[in-house]
Amino acid sequence: MALDLGMPILVVDDYQTMVRIIRNLLKQLGFEDVDDASDGTGALAKLKQKKYGLVISDWNMEPMTGYELLRHVRADDALRTTPFIMVTAESKTENVIAAKKAGVNNYTVKPFNAQTLKTKIEAVCGA
Amino acid sequence: MFTRQRAGVSPAAAAAAPAPRGGASTASLVSDLVEIAEYIKRLKAAIAHLRANELRNDRLPMAHDELGSVVTATASATNRIMEVAEGILAIEDDTLAGYRAKVEAEVFQIFEACAFQDITGQRIAKVVDALGQVETRLSHFATVVNVRDGEMDQEEARTRARRETLLLNGPQLKGPETPQDAIDALFS
Repeated sequence: MALDLGMPILVVDDYQTMVRIIRNLLKQLGFEDVDDASDGTGALAKLKQKKYGLVISDWNMEPMTGYELLRHVRADDALRTTPFIMVTAESKTENVIAAKKAGVNNYTVKPFNAQTLKTKIEAVCGA
Repeated sequence: MFTRQRAGVSPAAAAAAPAPRGGASTASLVSDLVEIAEYIKRLKAAIAHLRANELRNDRLPMAHDELGSVVTATASATNRIMEVAEGILAIEDDTLAGYRAKVEAEVFQIFEACAFQDITGQRIAKVVDALGQVETRLSHFATVVNVRDGEMDQEEARTRARRETLLLNGPQLKGPETPQDAIDALFS
């Protein structure tokens, strides 16, 4: 199954530079419908307004972290099946295990390259 | 300097003095006072050596400002490099030579933007030096005064608890603790 390049993607990161990097990588992969939020609270509001095909989120943000966002998403009947990739500098095993238990679909440690992100998106979105 | 003489009691007189009611001798009392006086003397010297005003008024604000400048410079350079890179992606030209000339012109702008690293490196070196000074003085103070740490304030305790609950560990010093391959294996 080919990737649906038209699916809306939500990028969540408090560093605008990282948002810009991920946006450019997604553009390079062919995705055009990309929105962003600077923390979990803003992301949750956007997720309730629009149906996203994928969330790519950082972990360490204020006031709501990516981990909390993930738990909110998985606890919400309308959002629970939304694919979720964590892209973060948090590389401790306890973080990876906690994210896995909370229902994350994939996990990438920063820094990463376009090919890594593409592989993750393909794995999560079933290409 | 606080001494037995300044306290108005000589050691001989103190030793000969009758014990006050309650059992404690005057000699013991004087000895305690002398000990306290010596401790205060050491404490004053240690506080002076700490040069807290210089740290508060000079070194720490300098470190704060330098790190702020580093953050600004790195953000500015990153934005500039990304702007140029995005510009390169958008370059169009009918001829290979024309395309090459445009790309080269942009690439040299990336080289220029990378010059930030020299300046930020020097700024960070100043901060590292300042932190080394603070560490040395605090370490000396803690040793001389035999400081015991008090309880952390509520705000700090809340912040620490949040970090522990939400696993906010931050980047590891020597690269990722868990290699990406191991993470991938967990999700395969």
